[in-house]
Amino acid sequence: MIWLLILATWEMAFRIHPWKDYYFPYPTQIVDSLLDLLNIQIGFHEPLHHGWPWLTQIPAHPKRGVFRSELFQGILISGGRLLGGFGVSILLGGSLGVLMWRFTPFNEFLGPLFLGLQTLPSVCWVPVAISLFGLQERAIQFVLIMGSFFAIAISLRDGLRTIPPLYQRAGLMLGASGWKLYLYVLLPAALPALCSGLRQGFSFAWRSLMGAEFVFQYSALHGLGNLLKDGQDQNDDAVVIGIMIVMVMIGMAADRLVFGQLEKRISHRFGLSGAK
Amino acid sequence: MISDLASTTSGRGRLVLESIDKNFEGSTVPALRGVSLSTMAGEFVVVVGPSGCGKSTLLNIAAGMLRPDAGHASLDGKPITRPGPDRAMVFQEHGLFPWLSALANVEFGLKMAGVPRGERQDRAAAALKMVHLANSTGKLIHELSGGMRQRVAIARALVMDPAVLLMDEPFAALDAQTRTLLHEQLQELWIRTRKTILFVTHSVGEAVRLADRIVVLHAHPGRVRRQILVPLQHPRDFDSKQVTELVSLVRTEIEQEVNRVNAAMASKDSAGKNLAEDLWQPATPDDLAPHPGDLGDGI
Repeated sequence: MIWLLILATWEMAFRIHPWKDYYFPYPTQIVDSLLDLLNIQIGFHEPLHHGWPWLTQIPAHPKRGVFRSELFQGILISGGRLLGGFGVSILLGGSLGVLMWRFTPFNEFLGPLFLGLQTLPSVCWVPVAISLFGLQERAIQFVLIMGSFFAIAISLRDGLRTIPPLYQRAGLMLGASGWKLYLYVLLPAALPALCSGLRQGFSFAWRSLMGAEFVFQYSALHGLGNLLKDGQDQNDDAVVIGIMIVMVMIGMAADRLVFGQLEKRISHRFGLSGAK
Repeated sequence: MISDLASTTSGRGRLVLESIDKNFEGSTVPALRGVSLSTMAGEFVVVVGPSGCGKSTLLNIAAGMLRPDAGHASLDGKPITRPGPDRAMVFQEHGLFPWLSALANVEFGLKMAGVPRGERQDRAAAALKMVHLANSTGKLIHELSGGMRQRVAIARALVMDPAVLLMDEPFAALDAQTRTLLHEQLQELWIRTRKTILFVTHSVGEAVRLADRIVVLHAHPGRVRRQILVPLQHPRDFDSKQVTELVSLVRTEIEQEVNRVNAAMASKDSAGKNLAEDLWQPATPDDLAPHPGDLGDGI
């Protein structure tokens, strides 16, 4: 509510005393930029006139089709990269997390390294990515994976450590040995920890991807980060802020709707949700 | 279902633990020294002793969770090397899986054994019915009370049709009323199935209520002090004179032993430990004699 008030004041301030819009964009301008990126051309930012918010001047080459728009395609491309890279991250981080939990020497070797690397901003992997893969799709994936799998490995390891030994004994007693013990006892027992690990890993992955896309302008596939860079190159701050808002919204939606819901259901199952 | 269990049980469940030694790292006193204990098929044996006497260790050796340092353990002639569903265990802290419903928890062992879904659901439902939980099959573990959880744990163990049922202070964490209720139910269950049960507790009252035979264990090091046959018929009236008398008898005896050893240990310095150990004579066949004079008639 208070945010609506701030936005309205911001908008009014501009309307009463226009400043140069390339210094700092105003709300309706951002809305229009985003809609334009979706191939919807509309003029909320124009002064109030008859027929507002339709544009006063019809564009010479009107853009058509939301699905073919830059923003929609960008979201799809970034989403695809995210799913692929995060998937690899889960497999890699998951298996290393299990190994670190199971074998102490492994943990002593990798644990501190992973904790250290986890603090490294993912964009720092860009030079390595370029020298390894060149200016290619794989380099972006590499940055994403390096940015997220340490967190997954560490949190999975810590989660597995908190499993009560009694579950393992009960599983053994009931004939769950070897891989069955892992699949039917340890994995489900680790679910709460795994879920918060994935949640954390996801936000790392999303941030890494946006950073990587922002830096890699060479790809033919334009993700959200690339669009952000385009906005910067064109000095179009409305686009820049608009894309940032989209990034935040996607990140939050995934965090709240996917992982938040998952966590809620798991903690209900396990009776961890407080309400007994 | 019930008759099935009863018929398959006959002749199974001869658990033999022979001169078991067990030391734990970092402990100067052995947890168990020369402990021998065996069960007959269909017998209800309760091991009683103070905390730290190694009774849980003994049970874990029978379960195959721990290996003894010396001596050997076997079930129906086969050596015990690792945990298995023929020696199903009920833990003090239930150890049920919170991510599964009550029914799925009971099904778990059957699933591991590769029993087809339909059959295992039927068997699990029947086992839950036996512990009077037919209406709670779909409940999650945290939705059940402490007593109900232990009943699910018992059903989970029974459904495997184990040769011997191992129970590690299963009712210690429950309130007195629930405990009495579960004693009644366990007794009824045992009468119906005639499972061999090895039950560990620190409560003499619990032991007298349930056992055919009580094995008294003492601590530092853990040793069998005495075995007492309980010549009362099942089902028992827990409030009956015989039960209460036997409880106080066994309790007094244990207290006397403890006091005697404590006194011996206090009166000696460093050599005291050895003397105290000498006081612990292994159980003799005489110990198995019931106490007819103390129990009156009706036995």
